[in-house]
Amino acid sequence: MFADLRQSISDWIFRASVPETPPVTLVQRRIFILPTRQGYTFAFTTLILLVASINYALSLGFILTFLLMSMAGVAMLHTWRNLAHLKLRPGRCDPVFAGETAHFGVTVETPSLTRFAIAVRRRDEEPVYADIVQPEIAAIALPAAASSRGVMRCGRLEIFTRYPVGLFHAWSYVDFNLQVIVYPRPDPAAGTPPAQSRSASEEGIPVAGDEEFHMLRSYRPGDPPKLIAWKALAREQGLLSKEFSAMASSELWIDFEEARSSNLEQRLSMLCHWVLTADRFGQSYGLRLPGVAIQPSRGDGHRTRCLEALALFEGASS
Amino acid sequence: MRAVPASPHLDVRNVMWLIAAMVFVVAPHLLRMPYWVGVFFLAIVAWRGWIAWAALHFPGRFVTTTLTIAAAIATFFTYNRIVGREAGVALLVVMSALKLLEMKTQREVTLSIYLGFFLVLTNFLFSQTIPLGIYMLVCVWIFIGTLVGFNRIGSSPTLAERMRPAGALLAQALPLMVAFFILFPRAAGPLWALPTDTRSATTGLSDSMTPGNISNLIKSDAIAFRVQFQGDRPAYSTLYWRGPVLTDFDGATWSLTRDESLGSTASYVRAQKPSRYVVTLEPHNKTWLFALDVPALVPPDARLLHDLELRVPNQRPVRERKRYEMTSYLDYRYGTSATRGALRESLRFNEARNPRTVALGRQWARESANPREVLQKAFQYFNREFTYTLDPPVLTSRDPYDEFLFETKQGFCEHYAGSFALAMRAAGIPARIVTGYQGGEINPLNNELVVRQADAHAWVEIWLPEQGWLRVDPTAAVSPLRIESGVNAALGPIGVLPSIIAADPIGLLAGIRDAWRAMNSQWDAWVVGYSMDRQRQLFSDLGFPGIDWRALGFWLMVATFVIGAAIGVGILIRERPRRDEPSLAAWNRFCAKLAAAGVAPRAPHEGPLDFLRRVESSRPVLATAAGDITRRYVEARYGAGATREELRELARRVREFRPA
Repeated sequence: MFADLRQSISDWIFRASVPETPPVTLVQRRIFILPTRQGYTFAFTTLILLVASINYALSLGFILTFLLMSMAGVAMLHTWRNLAHLKLRPGRCDPVFAGETAHFGVTVETPSLTRFAIAVRRRDEEPVYADIVQPEIAAIALPAAASSRGVMRCGRLEIFTRYPVGLFHAWSYVDFNLQVIVYPRPDPAAGTPPAQSRSASEEGIPVAGDEEFHMLRSYRPGDPPKLIAWKALAREQGLLSKEFSAMASSELWIDFEEARSSNLEQRLSMLCHWVLTADRFGQSYGLRLPGVAIQPSRGDGHRTRCLEALALFEGASS
Repeated sequence: MRAVPASPHLDVRNVMWLIAAMVFVVAPHLLRMPYWVGVFFLAIVAWRGWIAWAALHFPGRFVTTTLTIAAAIATFFTYNRIVGREAGVALLVVMSALKLLEMKTQREVTLSIYLGFFLVLTNFLFSQTIPLGIYMLVCVWIFIGTLVGFNRIGSSPTLAERMRPAGALLAQALPLMVAFFILFPRAAGPLWALPTDTRSATTGLSDSMTPGNISNLIKSDAIAFRVQFQGDRPAYSTLYWRGPVLTDFDGATWSLTRDESLGSTASYVRAQKPSRYVVTLEPHNKTWLFALDVPALVPPDARLLHDLELRVPNQRPVRERKRYEMTSYLDYRYGTSATRGALRESLRFNEARNPRTVALGRQWARESANPREVLQKAFQYFNREFTYTLDPPVLTSRDPYDEFLFETKQGFCEHYAGSFALAMRAAGIPARIVTGYQGGEINPLNNELVVRQADAHAWVEIWLPEQGWLRVDPTAAVSPLRIESGVNAALGPIGVLPSIIAADPIGLLAGIRDAWRAMNSQWDAWVVGYSMDRQRQLFSDLGFPGIDWRALGFWLMVATFVIGAAIGVGILIRERPRRDEPSLAAWNRFCAKLAAAGVAPRAPHEGPLDFLRRVESSRPVLATAAGDITRRYVEARYGAGATREELRELARRVREFRPA
């Protein structure tokens, strides 16, 4: 509870604002700076050096002490400068399956000087460091374990640095509202889409699961690369696609009702596996969820649409 | 981009840098410490380096604890103590090696570097010369560079990538450091009592004189004090720097009288030829000050005893460099009105010791009509068969002055002064020993007189009715050269440096030596000797007399603010984004004009040619002009580049481009 309180106080102080419109430039008022624990130890060290210099009337001791103190002061400006005027944009946030590692992407670029050891982290996570050199744009990917299906939000990002001497921690917050769509974890135990899922109008065609090689036909744009008969191509027979018997005929409906389990997530996992299986064999398939129906089709775009529907499915209204 | 695990393995190169910095900073210590400290330190550090290099396991807690205890015990048995300068520094050196040995995390690295800063400071306990100062500055630079290396997190920077940021930090810190150094209020003395051996290296006159102890001092080249004359410098033979006056005598040793009643310069009968000068006295851990014979105006922070001995007011030894202004009379007469009672102390001697010297004195008195004749006889006697030498035979008997006068006949100033004064007392003439320095060396570059321990001297003061106390120097009778031009002339070159200079035909080496000494003198006066006195002096010279710590603190804050703001502004100016390359700037203006004319703005992913295609389809009228500009831009930026004329042409066409 204390952590929550602290969090809300810090949210209030640092005005964690609504998603921001990229690019965000870290201007002066966005950057906060405080000494690190090492910085406090350093202050204590210089204090002892000062006392020793006074006591032993060591002029060079005074010079050492004042040089280190002034160096710390200058280091504060350098640390601040290392962060100032960086330009941040949201980066790639590719969807993943539950159980995998998601990556929230941010790109950082510097207007002028090279910035060393710039770190980005999500709340309470390990930071990721990068050196940012003009004119390159550094793409930083923050790993996060995607444990459950749905939309995983990145939350506010902290971008910070302690370079050059680690005495100060300069930081800024930015919230691009980054999110990763987490598909259900595919359940291999689900096997192939059950025969019942075929539409009734498709009597007489090979049953599901009959995944035997049927024939080669000429390549049609949109066929997935894994169906291309590479050996045939190597034999200079032209671009041909393999066709399996299960998809020789047209339509497969992957239906929520067919996935038999008491657990919603389990059912979605099974559906997810069927979608992937159907896609792998180039089968044209449709997805039917309570309140959602995606007409049969094939291809990567279609697969993504189906997987997203599974990821975002809120539950049967019944 | 790199992810860094919670406890990163320390980078080998960074560790090596830290070890190198540690060895550098400890090296001057190792030269003055017992051998085992050096062997221990280097062995442990080499072990740590090997661990980093070969990625070995660290020694266990048992090993490090054993080593720590062993080092502490060895230190104790070497020095018979754990505190104090020598022992404390030895302990710090061995412990810093052990700290390196168990250094595994970033945090411990930082602590080791901070320990390194302490080691830098401990070097200054032993020496504060210019070369050591520069050497230690380089050490600090390397330490900061190491800190920079460790803060690069995960990547190991090159030499330049370490040293340049570290150098920039230190260079930008310099102005603030100087302001702090000048303005930070200095304390009058130590905050607490110093360990007793802290000043063990200080040499100087002691409060007693036994044959043999000044000649040891003569072999030291250390500086006793410096003098800057205002006006003409008096003749070399008159440069008698008066120090402790020794009246008590036990047969071998002359020592300070316990009577510390104050005297007054007002009792001078004749006082002419005043000489004004400023003395910068090196700390000698004693309470007396030095002035030309005889002091006239006593500085406010000194007092004058009845025997014209100049002392600091409150028994606090001179522990830091002290600067005081003095005026002395070179031609004087004082003490004429001294009563017989007051002179009794100056006639006392032990009848049982040195009987032959006593008899000689009495014989002179019998054979003379007045004290002047006694003096004459004495000078004739010393002129006859005595030799001036720094290495006189050691006097072993209970009657050292008998042994010197009648057997060895070789001696140094304390032998002559001691036996002369004893003979005078035997003859009924009040006499006492004055110790101090005689002469000095002029640095022609800044006209400063440097008085070294080698110039230590002892002479005699006798009292004659109506003339008061008179300075007589029996050494002058034996070796007039000693008084006329210094100890080096009297004894021939001693040590290495003078003999090199003796063989320097064109005077180049002497010139370099003089320049170096002048620089050292400034350094000693303004840097090493920048004390509370100096600080007040400086601000009083600048027109702020009587400045106190509050005023200093105020100006310190002002200076901090001004310098900090200047550096901040400097950094901001450097931080301004670079101006766009000219062709890009022109292209951006072109895109902005189109956007203003209603063409949907160029998307970030849209290349120039794609954008042009879109412009051509949406605004066919502009196709020619836009195509021309785009092709020029593409050629300049992505093609063969563009000459200055071509860039100017591109800019002109963009300027003349009217999409509306």
